[in-house]
Amino acid sequence: MVVMLVLLFIVIVAAIWFFATYNSLIGLKLRVENAWSQIDVQLKRRHDLIPNLVETVKGYMAYEKDTLERVIKARSQAIDASNLKDKAQAENFLTQTLRSLFAVVEKYPDLKANQNVLQLQGELTSTENKISFARQYFNDEVQNYNTMIQTVPSNFVAGIANFQKKEFFEIEDASQKEPPQVKL
Amino acid sequence: MPFTFVEIEKRKSRVIVFAFFFLILIYFLTAYLLLFIIENWFLRGEEGGLLWPSLEHSLYALVAAVVIAFVHWLNSTDNLILKLSSSINAVPLDPKDLYHQYLQNIVDEVAIATGGRKIKPMIIPSAGMNAFALDDFAGHSIIGVTEGLLARLNRSQIEAVVAHEAAHIASGDCFTTTLVCSLGELYEVSVNKLKATLGQENRGSNRGVGLIILIYIVLVFTNFLSKTLRCFLSRASESRADAIAVKLVRNPLSLAEALKLISQKLHSQCGAQDNMQSIFIVSPQPNSLDEKENLLANLFSTHPPIKNRVGMLLAMAHLDEKSLDENLKDFVRVSPVAKPVFSLEAAPPRTGKWSFMRDGIWNGPFSFDELKGISGILPTQWFKAEGAEQVGMAFDFPELMDLFDKNLPASKGTCPNCKVALQEFSYEGVPVLRCNYCEGYFVDHYKINRLLIRQDYAPAPELVRLAKLVAESKDKMMLRNYKNPRFVIECPVCKKCKMSRQFFVYSYPVEIDRCTACSGVWFDKTELEVLQYIHDNKETLLYKDGAF
Repeated sequence: MVVMLVLLFIVIVAAIWFFATYNSLIGLKLRVENAWSQIDVQLKRRHDLIPNLVETVKGYMAYEKDTLERVIKARSQAIDASNLKDKAQAENFLTQTLRSLFAVVEKYPDLKANQNVLQLQGELTSTENKISFARQYFNDEVQNYNTMIQTVPSNFVAGIANFQKKEFFEIEDASQKEPPQVKL
Repeated sequence: MPFTFVEIEKRKSRVIVFAFFFLILIYFLTAYLLLFIIENWFLRGEEGGLLWPSLEHSLYALVAAVVIAFVHWLNSTDNLILKLSSSINAVPLDPKDLYHQYLQNIVDEVAIATGGRKIKPMIIPSAGMNAFALDDFAGHSIIGVTEGLLARLNRSQIEAVVAHEAAHIASGDCFTTTLVCSLGELYEVSVNKLKATLGQENRGSNRGVGLIILIYIVLVFTNFLSKTLRCFLSRASESRADAIAVKLVRNPLSLAEALKLISQKLHSQCGAQDNMQSIFIVSPQPNSLDEKENLLANLFSTHPPIKNRVGMLLAMAHLDEKSLDENLKDFVRVSPVAKPVFSLEAAPPRTGKWSFMRDGIWNGPFSFDELKGISGILPTQWFKAEGAEQVGMAFDFPELMDLFDKNLPASKGTCPNCKVALQEFSYEGVPVLRCNYCEGYFVDHYKINRLLIRQDYAPAPELVRLAKLVAESKDKMMLRNYKNPRFVIECPVCKKCKMSRQFFVYSYPVEIDRCTACSGVWFDKTELEVLQYIHDNKETLLYKDGAF
């Protein structure tokens, strides 16, 4: 009888623990998804800004058709990308082409003094910052989630309920992997 | 750090319950004290010794305390953010101002780093450097910074400061601080009011004065208690917020720089009252306790020593204080505003003539001024410059674009000198109206402060010479100015009355035209630049002798 009671008690405690862990795993997973949707919003915003920028600088940059076309192509690639890895790659490519576009803008004094271009440039830079903050938040959440499903004892629950490891949203670009230089 | 909203909400309700009971406790203690004093003072029995209030009386005191606490609570928590932000003169952003757009971007970015909280930026139009955060029951959050901070720090430093404030909001302690501040505000207001009444009613009856003094003592006591509570809240949370800010923007160095710069300059000029100290990043009323670490300082200072905070951040960045000072010594801020080209020469006269196509035939050529007189010219009409083969629409000739200004809505105003339409223009990011012919500016009165705080445009050497001349001839000009007040031009915007030609302020010898109805100011060419130069260098130009 006593043994039965003890067993029952153990089973109840185990069940409570199981459901609690399961719930917190679900919570973490939802947070990862929420973090992803935030990145998505910012990526979309960047895609929307690019045509405006191209339209504004086009008149000035008759000889830089290549750069502009590359930006447009990178944008449509980024929009078409479907899975996480392709998306990260396409977005990194877009970031690079945008950088080269801004480098070209520097060469045109008229463009540099144009308040419209400056404003668009500011908006894009800000959006890029937002993307990187959103990515940072996303990766933090993914890390929390992955830690939870891989560490003992919650990995048992994750295994039973079939929680999969999530991918980070990583930077492939080699130049971005270098530590930033302190310039003041 | 409790990042999920559920956790924050849970914490919030704990804080609310705690604060409410603390309020009741304070009122009960106060009521009890009052009872005690009254019974011993007014109703002293024959036998000596102290009277202790009976149980029944204590119960009355408790009921009274609960009722008062409830009323106080309702009064203080209604419209919390609006009340607090207006008590420190914070205003919403001006969407046309470039600096304000820049702040909006930074706040949006940091909000994303916190996981997508909705945070609204605000501005304190003061030259000091400081920042604050507020958070209310409904989850509305505000981050405010001063104009001075926007104009003097670079982007990553502002971002670090905003991240510090966002950290307060994200970790939930901002709500506590906001609540305590708003509860404390009532005391502050009543103490100030009582001080005033006490000054006036000196001749009242003895008993009346006694009562007022009594209430005053009680208020000071409660004020003291709530202040202590406030200090406890903030001192620890500031360092924690610094740490979370680093987690948000991963940039300890910028935060250290920002703190150092803020602490070196004018963080006091924010018009903040006593009870609002703890919502700011650096204490707006610095005193000798701030930089100490003993028990007394821990109790009464709202912020930990800047030195400690900077030290902690530098340790995270693996730097020491010397290299920070070195970095800051040649710190140059990159202005977010495009620099227009300024010259003292008049705008080039419009030479040249143009022909235009109407009904299939070329008319003209006409000079610019003649074209202005011809009605019905459209930007999409074909134009041809005299002697040139190239044909284009009017908008292909930038020099012709001014033709169409007169068709703009009149609400923007007309130049008081040239009578042409004023154009919207961004001067150091501030939206002002400018006459493209005489290069005068019309500035709304509430925007002038921003122009004086921002320092994006370096003055041309001619301007510096001019400004020095103006400063030297101050006495002469002052005499002339006050002998005969002049009303020369009409206000270009409200058009209600003439503008009075006067000094910008008594001590700045720059003559401007100020509208007596809307207080807007018309700056003739170079007047604004000279005013800015004199304002920036007032110590060397005007107060040389230590007086003015």
